[in-house]
Amino acid sequence: MTDGAADPAAGRGATTAAPLLALEGVSKTYGTTRAASDVSLTIRAGEIIGLVGANGAGKSTLMRILAGVTRPDTGQMLIDGRPVDWDAFGPRAANAAGTRIAWQELSLCPNLSIAENFYIERPNAGRFRPGWTRPYRELAAEALGAIFPGTEIVPDTRAGALPISGRQMVEIARVLSDPGLRLAILDEPTSSLGAERSAQLRAHIRAIAGRGVAVVFISHKLAEVIDVADRVLVMRNGRITEDRPNRGLTVGHLVEMMGGLSAEAAAEAAEARPAAGAPVLTLDRATIAPGSNVDPELRRGEIVGFAGLEGSGQKAALRRLFTAPRGGPRLRFVSGDRPVEGNFPLWTVLENITVGRTARRPGWAATRPGPDRRAATEAARGLALDPARLDHGILDLSGGNQQKALMARAIVDDFDALLLDDPTRGVDIAAKREFYRLARELAGRGKLILWHSTEDGEFAECDRVLVFSHGRAVRQLERGAITDEALIAASFSGTAGTEILAPRGSGAGMRRLLTALPFLCLALIVAAMTWRNPMVASALGAQLLLGPAVPLVLVALGQMFAVGGSEIDLGIGPAAGLVNVVSATLLVATPWLGVGALLGILALYALMGLLIRARAIPSIVVTLGASFIWLGMGQTLQPRPGGSAPDWLAPVLLPSAFGIPAPVIVILLAGIAAAMINASPAGTVLRGFGASPLALERAGWSTIRYTVLRYLLVGGFASLAGLMLTAMSGASDINAGRALTLLSIAAVVIGGCRLLGGVIAPWGVVAGAVTLSLIGAFLATLGVSTDYNAAVQGALLIAILALQSLSFGGGRHA
Amino acid sequence: MRDFTAHNRWIWPALGILLLWLALALLTERLSLASLSGVAATAGFLALPALGQMLVITSGGGNIDLSIPGVIALSAYLSVLVLQSGAGSGAALLAILAAGAVVGAVNAVLVLSLRIPAMIATLASGYILATGALLLNGRITAMRTGGLFQMLATARVFGVPSSFLIAAIAAAILGLVLARLAWGRKLLATGQSEGAARLAGVPVGATIALAFVLCSMLSAFAGGLIAGYAGGAFLEMGTPYLLQSVGAVVLGGTLIAGGSASAAGTLLGALLLIMIVTTMQIAGLPKGVQDILQGVIIILILSLAGSRARA
Repeated sequence: MTDGAADPAAGRGATTAAPLLALEGVSKTYGTTRAASDVSLTIRAGEIIGLVGANGAGKSTLMRILAGVTRPDTGQMLIDGRPVDWDAFGPRAANAAGTRIAWQELSLCPNLSIAENFYIERPNAGRFRPGWTRPYRELAAEALGAIFPGTEIVPDTRAGALPISGRQMVEIARVLSDPGLRLAILDEPTSSLGAERSAQLRAHIRAIAGRGVAVVFISHKLAEVIDVADRVLVMRNGRITEDRPNRGLTVGHLVEMMGGLSAEAAAEAAEARPAAGAPVLTLDRATIAPGSNVDPELRRGEIVGFAGLEGSGQKAALRRLFTAPRGGPRLRFVSGDRPVEGNFPLWTVLENITVGRTARRPGWAATRPGPDRRAATEAARGLALDPARLDHGILDLSGGNQQKALMARAIVDDFDALLLDDPTRGVDIAAKREFYRLARELAGRGKLILWHSTEDGEFAECDRVLVFSHGRAVRQLERGAITDEALIAASFSGTAGTEILAPRGSGAGMRRLLTALPFLCLALIVAAMTWRNPMVASALGAQLLLGPAVPLVLVALGQMFAVGGSEIDLGIGPAAGLVNVVSATLLVATPWLGVGALLGILALYALMGLLIRARAIPSIVVTLGASFIWLGMGQTLQPRPGGSAPDWLAPVLLPSAFGIPAPVIVILLAGIAAAMINASPAGTVLRGFGASPLALERAGWSTIRYTVLRYLLVGGFASLAGLMLTAMSGASDINAGRALTLLSIAAVVIGGCRLLGGVIAPWGVVAGAVTLSLIGAFLATLGVSTDYNAAVQGALLIAILALQSLSFGGGRHA
Repeated sequence: MRDFTAHNRWIWPALGILLLWLALALLTERLSLASLSGVAATAGFLALPALGQMLVITSGGGNIDLSIPGVIALSAYLSVLVLQSGAGSGAALLAILAAGAVVGAVNAVLVLSLRIPAMIATLASGYILATGALLLNGRITAMRTGGLFQMLATARVFGVPSSFLIAAIAAAILGLVLARLAWGRKLLATGQSEGAARLAGVPVGATIALAFVLCSMLSAFAGGLIAGYAGGAFLEMGTPYLLQSVGAVVLGGTLIAGGSASAAGTLLGALLLIMIVTTMQIAGLPKGVQDILQGVIIILILSLAGSRARA
């Protein structure tokens, strides 16, 4: 392993053939930020390139361009010496050319199994036949075993059940196991891996480079870059500022090339400050690892860093501190995740700052525009943010200035402690300096500053740094001892190279209960009804009781496919009602016109899906509007209930010759169809879109095509339900389907589907739907008025949703 | 100019009302304010729950209140029942406002504490309320309305129906609340970004909860007025207000994604929507076609507004 690193280029050699890939003069601008500026780069087969640079230096943009996810404004790319046509170059084309990326923000679908995640990334072997996932299960197991020997990841595990290190290994294995791989781009591949796994990965990278695969290794762990790379690229402010062979380079060199900020900042930070004062906050016991040297008291005048590998608990600890009780210290929080938890995008800079004052007033208090503006202006001045920009929209500002506005919001009135969560993410160097200066000034005025950062260099600003590992603070480094090496060593100190790869245990029992719940409910209600009246269990009883359940089962399965996309169809009941009307009128009188009308309804469904996707409008309002359209159409076709079933449709639900009640057969067939669709390759992709549309798009799947497919499925099942309404009643009524909407949602929820996140269960939905349709009959046997039907169904829905949210924890806005 | 329309989105429904009114006047050759006044009475009933719906939608996170029809029907029955018992109008008003507050609080608990998506929680609570109305229906011996509700619902001040005046006053108050009261600013902040609002120190839960409570109270009040106007309560009386309350909010220029609201726009949106419905009735369109057109209009407006959602 070490002989390769000693003179890596010699073994594989830089060949003289056309480079695998070349970029020439590529630029990309987002708003006012130049993410890539005149970038030129050649990558040869078998090369290992280390790419380093501060956050926001443009590494991610460069990688997205290579992967066909982002189209540059100017410049060209050559693959094997042939120029690429940007119009035709998307994620699929990049994959076909052999380029693959392991994304830092992991692109696995948490609701799919590991084998299914391998399929999403590489669909070429996917044929719809029973057992189609087997090759992917084998592939996943082989790939993981080859790169990370000794892992025990089961390919049937849901990706979301793995800890972050496991997900990272799957993500990497998925990319590196591709037989067509020519260029692998690994974005922070070891951010969550222990030392042993990281070494295994680097060994594997050297092995595949020996077979001619080029690898781009992006990492903040500079020692690893120096260990593995043949050549090192340094990016700063969207440019490649250094491109040199990895000979005699040290971590110090790299730090210097990346900006040399830490040394300079440390010198400035060394200015004398008064000693720390009284405690403001105290870390609780659970946050500190037993036996560590961490001082739990956080005092006035201190700048305390929260460090560790990503996801080691430092962020969570910071957030726990922010939920202090009322009347405690006055806390202010600034996050660097501006789009998600910083900006109010519709407001001006001024409004974004003054909300910091308004938020702390009681609700009935009036705003005070004059004093608020004066305070905001003063806060902006203190941050070197031009007060003339206060009346601009917040999004018109550069990232750095947006962040200054957020900082101004925090300090716009007096406070005790300022909590910073990676506040300099994607911020230019001048704004960073401003923050460091401000932090020192505030600490000098006796404020407590807590600073979580993903850039280790920033901890040079701190008086002490708490290093987190596995959810707890394991080490405290004092000023003078805060170095990159010490931070990394401390970050791994708690891990000892062992990962826990078993699915997370919390709530597993509750989850199993929820999966079994629909079947339990069904068994209970059938048992109770049979006990009251043994006829229920007979073929005739089943025939009579299950007939009304058929339309509901079908509508519920349709709703399930909508819910699988994290959407909802409020018009599904009326749509079934419309099909009921069409099939009992047009389809009888003029069959061709009837068939045309039914196809038209499906086409409208597809159109609705397109509209929802293309205009990014909530499905709930569109389908609510559509429900009126379905009702109106039905009413126009047939103002009063009536009509008759077509001859071929009428006998479908009548008692059959085989002694098995026809409704049972139809329900089972519907369940089998839905389960097969859901387990098919297309169904897998649909589920993937429900959880992580971005990941699917990056893998080259067409959002439009699958949205249309999803809505066709929803409309198709709704149509079948309408036909069954006709078969059951032998007539039609546009209002027959109305009640089905709520019931379908209730059945989907009882069936164990999640309303967000693409987790669906066809057989659970079937059981849930049958249970719900039996409730009326059940209440009747108990002597309860059917008036209570709706209330019981609504209450059941709420109870089960409450149970779900209690067992799964958060996720309303997941 | 663009800045002006961007900050005063009520301009669009106002323009729509003007055009439709002129078109109607030309068609029927009767240019009168009286025709507007009839529409305004009905629009007032719609505007009240629509203003509530606006607050809920503005709280963001896909929040919407689908229990409005249930609240309207239940409060209508409640008002009739209290009046039937011989208690005065004041008692009836208190009863329906209290019932509205309770329903809103329950909705808020379902959405915030149990984290059930608002559309499902309110859909389910709406069904339970409908059952409540059904049960009250059986206890009514004689449809008695009258008193305060009838007066409020049918009186006119200088030719303007009092229901519209009430809605206009409510819109003015809410407009002021959104612009100048801390709660209004907190609601707009929460609607734009719940995460950012929480970190900025906004008590997000309490802020959203009040939106649900106000929505149910406004709907309950509307239910009492409608019962006073119609001279009684009936089971399906709330049904039209489900789509129309959302429609008035969308037509009025409130963002469906939350975080930006126009109370004046919602009032005018309600007026425009009722004008459209009335026009269709005058034109003699069958009920079915009216439903289709309402659905199409709302989807159309939404898809036109969709791209303006986030600048």
